[in-house]
Amino acid sequence: MKNLNRLLAAVQTPAILVGLVLLAALVGVTGDVTTARVATLALVSVVFVVGLSVFSGNSGVMSFGHVMFMAAGAYTTAYLTIPVPLKKTLFSDLPGWLSWLAEVHSSFPVALLAGGLVAAVVGLVTAPVVARLSGLQSGIATLAMLLITYNVLNSWTEVTRGSSSMIGIPRGTTTWWAFGVAAAAVVVAWLYRCSRSGLQLRASREDFWAAQASGIAVGRHRATAWVLSALVCGLAGALYAGYLTSFNVNGFFLTATFSFVVMIVLGGYLSLSGAVVGALAVSALQEVLRRFQDGQFTGGNELPAGVADLIVAAVLLVVLVKAPYGLMGVRELRLPRLTRRGRGDAERSADATAKEPVSVA
Amino acid sequence: MILEFLINAVGLGALYALLTIGVALLFGVLGLMNFAYGELILAGAFAMYLFRDQPWPFALLMAIVFAVVVALVSERLAFHPLRNADPVTLMIASFAVSLALQSLARMTVLPRTRGVPPERFLSHRVSILGADVSVLDLVTLVLCGLMLLVVAWLMGRTSLGIQLRAAAEDFRMASSLGVKANLVIPAAFVIVGVLSAIGGAVLVARQGSVGADMGLQPMLIGVVGAVLGGMSSLKGAALGGFLLGAATALLESLLPTDLIAFRDAFLFSALIAVLVVRPQGLLSGAKVRVS
Repeated sequence: MKNLNRLLAAVQTPAILVGLVLLAALVGVTGDVTTARVATLALVSVVFVVGLSVFSGNSGVMSFGHVMFMAAGAYTTAYLTIPVPLKKTLFSDLPGWLSWLAEVHSSFPVALLAGGLVAAVVGLVTAPVVARLSGLQSGIATLAMLLITYNVLNSWTEVTRGSSSMIGIPRGTTTWWAFGVAAAAVVVAWLYRCSRSGLQLRASREDFWAAQASGIAVGRHRATAWVLSALVCGLAGALYAGYLTSFNVNGFFLTATFSFVVMIVLGGYLSLSGAVVGALAVSALQEVLRRFQDGQFTGGNELPAGVADLIVAAVLLVVLVKAPYGLMGVRELRLPRLTRRGRGDAERSADATAKEPVSVA
Repeated sequence: MILEFLINAVGLGALYALLTIGVALLFGVLGLMNFAYGELILAGAFAMYLFRDQPWPFALLMAIVFAVVVALVSERLAFHPLRNADPVTLMIASFAVSLALQSLARMTVLPRTRGVPPERFLSHRVSILGADVSVLDLVTLVLCGLMLLVVAWLMGRTSLGIQLRAAAEDFRMASSLGVKANLVIPAAFVIVGVLSAIGGAVLVARQGSVGADMGLQPMLIGVVGAVLGGMSSLKGAALGGFLLGAATALLESLLPTDLIAFRDAFLFSALIAVLVVRPQGLLSGAKVRVS
């Protein structure tokens, strides 16, 4: 009985989160076309934000550059799944050493995995920078990485089609695929969080110098989390490309970054539940605002474009002022009846001490 | 030829130094890496568009008024309640302010990019010492140079400047010695508003158009320049911005044409390298105040 309880306590948070994700998938499968689209894109956002949370949530270092991993996943999927004849016309000017790009082809699942792996390689290349920096410097450096990625994707016209859209990707992502990857991402993120490396990284989040002094190689764990989160975000990019069938480099720039930052901050970026809840809640909010802007609630009076963005920005500001650690703080979703008195009190006091992290540097 | 290039390079350097000081000042005083800076520039630039039929100096004055008002309102609504937040939270907040201002502009006055007809006198060319120089380059140089001198005087010789520098050095110490936060922080925002208005006016004259997203590039220039020069000291930041501008002018005339498109990638790679190797900035000997 005791063992069973312990097992339940260990798996309840990921189980609840997978349940939430399943709920979103069911809404998508049973609803009409628009609902299915919103739900599937929300699931893709869950994958991305969970990936971001693997790094930011455990290390306490905010990253503004993760969209580049999404871009890596999306472009990889495009190269691998666009039918070869179409690709030959799309990329007629490939430089010689990249001409094999026009020949390769694979099924969507393989492209999905490859997207994740390519993103992980990008993560591996950038990891040394992240391992060395903290706080604001890390924020600026990750943003600079995003700007470099954008500049290269936008200017290397022969290979990336520059600012023209990437078109003709076969629809590989279904709502169930998105659900499957999201559920897997939640489980992987939870396993990492509970692993030795995740625990040490979270210790460094609470107190960097104390963690250093206890012999934790903070840089190494940051790099590990960075690569793992790159992998997950690459999967999100592959799903995104496989669902929309066409995308543009502008989809991987500041607007996307901002919208994911809103999700993770609103949910609470120190907790995995916060990432999932934030991604789902903000996706729903954005859809409601989009309909509001199109005039569906105001009797057909269209509001000027930008109202939705303005409201999202205002919501983010209010959250930052009123609850800087988001809806969830450092808490995770749990079943209420499992917090029995003895255990519950201990946990609650642990929560209370951890509620205000000393620093996020 | 050489003189022309020099005036162009020095003018661009002065403009970039101006942009950089705007970023560095708020970072020093508040720990705020202000991504909404571009939207202050936008406010100034929009005033230049709105008053394009009025005399240029009047439009410039209105640009300053617009940018200062936007700066003060954003301070009051967004950054005042976050005064004790950590730098990363502030940075995210400034992201939100930037997006909010940009969508406001897009909703109301600038749904698409507008052309601003160039001022007649700016497109003249004059010859100085045998070199053929456009008035625009001269005005850029003189206006930005003048502003830099004013800022230098303000920071060096006035009581407000000393308080600002003290606050940038160590905010808690300064406030316990009687520097009033409610004075220096709005004052810093006012100065930043003025600087960004001048920057915006010069940018409008150079580009000939105003669009809701025009603030991004100058904001990034400010951030890069400030990081290169060392964010805690204004002098270092100004020098960093100046060198960045001069280097940009040099790169544009020296880089092979097929690499010019990747200029930003080179620039930001250099930024990351500086952050990793010398986080206190290339030109600053002081310790940097980070989180």
